[in-house]
Amino acid sequence: MKKQLSGLLFFAAFSVLVSSCEQSDPEPKGDYTAGVFVLNEGNFFQNNGAVSFFTREQTTADPDIFSKVNGSALTGGVQGYAAIGEQGVILVDNANAGMDKVEFVNSNTFQRQGTIGAPDIENPREVVVAGNKAYVSCWGSNADYTYATGYIAIIDLNTKKVTKKINIASGPENMVFASGKLFVGTVSDGGGKTLTVIDAATETIAKPIVLDGSVTPIGLDANGKLWVGAGLKAVRIDPASYAVENTLTISADSRKFAGHFAFTSDLKSVVYNLSYYDANFVAHGETYKFGIADTQISLATPLIKRVFTGLAVDPSQGLIYAGVTPSYAQAGYAVRYRADGTLVDSIKVNVAPTGFFFK
Amino acid sequence: MTVYQKFVLFVTLTAGALLSGNSYAQTDSVSLEPVNIKGFVPEKFMSGLKIQQIDSAILYTYKFQNISELLSVFTPIAFNKYGPGQLTTAFFRGTSANHTAVLWNGLNINSPILGQTDFSTIPVAGFDAMSVQFGSASSIVGTDAVGGSILLSSIPQNQTNEASVAGQIESFDNYQMQLAARYHSVLNEKWSISGKTSGYFNRMNNHFPYRERREYALLPAEADQKGLIQDIFLTSKNDQEISAHVWLTGNKLVTSPANLVGRELTLTEAYRTMLRYRIRDLTLRTAWVRDVIDYAKGDFENVDHAVTDKFSTRAEQDFTWNLNNLGSNIYIKAGAEWTHYRTSVAGYEKPLITEDRADIFLLTRWQANRRLVVSLNLRQALVTGYNPPFTPSIGSEYQLFQRNSYQLKLKGSLARSYRVPTLNERYWAVLGNPDIKPESGWNKEIGLEQSLKSTFGDVFTASITGYHNRVKDWTYWNPTKNYRVENLQQVLARGLELQLSWRRDFGAAKSGLNFNYAWNKSVQEKAYDAYSVDVIGKQLRFVPLHSAGLNTFFQYKNMRLTAQVQSVGKRYITFDNSTFLKEYALVHLIGEVTIPLSAVYLRVQGQINNVSNTFYLNTQNNAMPGRSFAINMVAAFRKGPKRLPILEN
Repeated sequence: MKKQLSGLLFFAAFSVLVSSCEQSDPEPKGDYTAGVFVLNEGNFFQNNGAVSFFTREQTTADPDIFSKVNGSALTGGVQGYAAIGEQGVILVDNANAGMDKVEFVNSNTFQRQGTIGAPDIENPREVVVAGNKAYVSCWGSNADYTYATGYIAIIDLNTKKVTKKINIASGPENMVFASGKLFVGTVSDGGGKTLTVIDAATETIAKPIVLDGSVTPIGLDANGKLWVGAGLKAVRIDPASYAVENTLTISADSRKFAGHFAFTSDLKSVVYNLSYYDANFVAHGETYKFGIADTQISLATPLIKRVFTGLAVDPSQGLIYAGVTPSYAQAGYAVRYRADGTLVDSIKVNVAPTGFFFK
Repeated sequence: MTVYQKFVLFVTLTAGALLSGNSYAQTDSVSLEPVNIKGFVPEKFMSGLKIQQIDSAILYTYKFQNISELLSVFTPIAFNKYGPGQLTTAFFRGTSANHTAVLWNGLNINSPILGQTDFSTIPVAGFDAMSVQFGSASSIVGTDAVGGSILLSSIPQNQTNEASVAGQIESFDNYQMQLAARYHSVLNEKWSISGKTSGYFNRMNNHFPYRERREYALLPAEADQKGLIQDIFLTSKNDQEISAHVWLTGNKLVTSPANLVGRELTLTEAYRTMLRYRIRDLTLRTAWVRDVIDYAKGDFENVDHAVTDKFSTRAEQDFTWNLNNLGSNIYIKAGAEWTHYRTSVAGYEKPLITEDRADIFLLTRWQANRRLVVSLNLRQALVTGYNPPFTPSIGSEYQLFQRNSYQLKLKGSLARSYRVPTLNERYWAVLGNPDIKPESGWNKEIGLEQSLKSTFGDVFTASITGYHNRVKDWTYWNPTKNYRVENLQQVLARGLELQLSWRRDFGAAKSGLNFNYAWNKSVQEKAYDAYSVDVIGKQLRFVPLHSAGLNTFFQYKNMRLTAQVQSVGKRYITFDNSTFLKEYALVHLIGEVTIPLSAVYLRVQGQINNVSNTFYLNTQNNAMPGRSFAINMVAAFRKGPKRLPILEN
C-alpha cells in the first residue's frame, strides 16, 4: 500500500513536471491562491484556533478554512503560518502536553498533507520558511515556565521531518531569515537579551548578539539592514558584520511594552504598538510609526489611537491589518487601515486574531 | 412591569386558575396521604416546583456509572464532560456550572472554592436516594440553587442484613470494585440500629486502542476514584433518631501520564461527615466537610495545594397545626444555620481566609384542602462582609382532577434565587474581587402534571413545565480583562420541559419507558463593552438549545434489557455563537440477569456504551471514546425477606 502510494505520488509529481513544461506560467489551482490568511490563537483551554481567509476585495471572511476543507479542526491555537510554493506550515499549540503539532497543508487548497507532533514540536511559536526548510521556534515542554527548554526545529519540507534541533535559551520567539542566516529573538517573559544568529548552511549558532532588552527581530529595511526591537528600543544592525549601527529609544516609560513591529510595504518605516495594562488588566496604548532614517522616535502623533493583538502590513497593497480580540470567548476582527492610519473596514474573523499572512 | 407587579399578576393568574379548577370539584375517592415530615426533607416545601425522584431500581441499574450518565438520560441537565474520569460539570436549565446545588443529606457539597461539583467524582454507588429539583429553590436549600438542585440522601434500611460485592470490567482496561454491607439490629425495647458501610474503587486506565478518531486526538488520561461511606442510624420508638454519616471520596486524575514533564495531576479529595439528632420536632445537625484540591504539572512532588474546611451547624424546629379533620393543615419549619469556612489556597492573596455565613429560614407548607397546597418560604443569608438578598418564594399545587384513574395537577412557583460568590471569586489574588456582589434572580414557572391508569394496568404520566429565570449580577471571569471576575452579565433563561413515562406489568413481564425533552433558551441581556453587541441575545456557551433523553426497559422474569439514549443539541463554544460543537446522541444498552441461589443473589450485567460508535467532541476539541463494553457482577448475600433486588421498585 505504501509502495503504491509513493508510486502514485511520484506519478503525480512527474505529471506536474510535464504539465509545467507545457504551460509557461501555470496558474496555481485552489481556493486560497491569493488573499489574506488570518491566524487566530483561539481560546487556549478550548483548543479552537483557526486560520481565516479572505481575498483582498472581500469584506467577509471564511472563519476556519482548515476545517472547511478537511472536515476536522486544527485542535489548538494557531501560533504561526508560513508558505513557500505549494507548501504551507501551520503551528498548532494545544493546551495539553504532548498534543502540539506542525500541520502541513497545500498552500493553495489547504488540504492536509501531514503532521509532526511531540516530542519534535512542543509549544511552537513562530515559523519562517526558506528554500526547502522550515524553521520553527519552540519553547519545548517548558513545564515550569522557566523557558529553559527552547529550541529551533529545522524541518525538511520534502520529507516533512525534523532534521535538527538547535537549543535556544530564554524562549525563542520571532525570527527573520536573511541571506543565509536566521536571526532569532526571545519572548519578553523569558528574560533573555540575546539575538541569536544561526548559519543556515552549517545549522549552527554563528553569533550571539547581546542587546539592551528583550529581543524581537523585525526584518530587513529598504537598505538591507536588519531592525530589531530590544525592549523599549529599536536597533539597526548590519546583518553581515552584526555591528549595531543605530539605536532609537521608543519610550522611556518602563511600564510600557513595544511590540507587533511590522515594516511598511516600502520597507522604509516600522509600525508598532506601544501599550500598557491598567489595574483592571485592560490594554491601553496606541499604534505608532517611525522611519528608518529618523534620528529619534516621536510619540507626539499616534498613527492609530488603539492597540491590537496583531499587526501586519500587506506588502502588495500597503494596507495595515490589525487584529482585534474583544475576548477569548467570541470572534475577533481584522481591521484594515490605510498607510496614513485612516480606517478602511473591519472583517469578522475567528477567536483572537494575532497574525496575518499575505499571498 | 416591576417585579412586584409581575408578582401580583402571577398571583392573580394562579388564583384564577385555582378558582376555575374548583368548578371541577366533584366526588373523588383519593385520600390525602399523610405528610410525614421528619428531619430535613426539602422536597416537602417545594410545592409548585418540579421534582423528579429517581427510583431505586434505576439507581441499581446505574450502579457502576457516575450520576452524570444517569441524569443525562433521565433529566434535561446538560453535562460538559472532558472524558472518562475527567471533569464533568452540569448546565441545568440554561444556567452555568455554578448554578446547580448538590446536597448530601441536606448539606450543600459544592466545592466552596469553585462553587460547583465535578460530577465525575460522584458515583451512583455513593448514595441511597436521589431526587432532582428543577428551578430556583434558594429559599429552601440556600445558595447555588438557581438552575436546580440535586438532592442525594442516605436512607435507613430496616429490613435486611446484606453484604454485597460487585465488580466491573470495562473496555480500555477500566475496572471497578464495590463492597457494601447493610445491617439492622434491635438494641433494646426502645432503640434499634441500622447502617450501611460501603466502599468503592475505580481504576480508569483509558487505554484506548486508537489515539485519535476522525483526526481528533483523544486526551490520554488515567483516573483512580475511591470512596468510603458509613451511615449509622439509631432509631428510638419514642420519636428520636440519631444518625452519623461519613462520605470520603478521593479522585486522582492524571492527564498525558506518559509525558513526564507535561503531565498534569488533579487530586480532588472530600471528607464529609455529619451528625444529626432529632427528637420529635426538633432537629440538630452538625457537619464538617474538608475539600482538598491538589494540582501539579510535571513534578508531582511539587503541588499547588488548596484545602477548605467547612463547619456547619443547623437547628430546625417543626410546627404543625391541623386546621380541620379533613386533612387541612399547616407545617412550618423554622431554622437557622451557621457555617464557618477556613480556606488555604495557593493562589489566594492571604495564606488563610476565614469566612462566616449564616442563614435563617422559615419554610411553610399549607395544605388548604384536598386539592390545594401552598408553600411560602423565606430565607435570609448573611455572609461576612455583605449580605445576599432576602429570598422569598411562593409555590402552589392544585389538583384539577383527582380520580383513581386520572389525576391532573397544576403547579406554579415564583422564587427568588441567589448565589453567594465562590471563595475563588472573592479571594483569588488580583483576579478575584472581595466586593463582588452575590447573584440574584427571579424564577417563575408553571406546569401541568398528569397521571393516567388504563384498565390494562398501564400507567402513563406526563408533565410539561415552562420557566422564566432572570439572573442579575451574573459573575463572569472576564476574558477581556485577563479573566478578572466581574458582575458583568444579566442572563435570561427560558424554557419548556416535557416529560413522559409509561409503565406496564404483564404478569411475568414488565416494561417501561421514560422520555424527556427540554428547550432551553438562555441569553445574555446586557451590553458591557463595544463588542458585546455580538453577544447580546445569543445563546450562552455550552448550553444546548435542545436536549432529550430516553430510557426504556423490558423485563421478563429475572431478565431485563435496558436501552438508554442521551441526546445533546448543538452547543456554542463562543459567546457570540460563531463556533459550536455539533449535536450528538449516544445509545447504551444494558442486559442483566438475576440468579437467586440459596444464600446469594447473583446479578450479571452486560453493558454496551455508545452502541453506534458515535463520534463526538468535548469542549477542549478532543475526541470522546467510541463504543465500549463492560461486564458487571453483583453478588448479594442476604438475610431477610426473599426478594429479588431487581424488583425493589
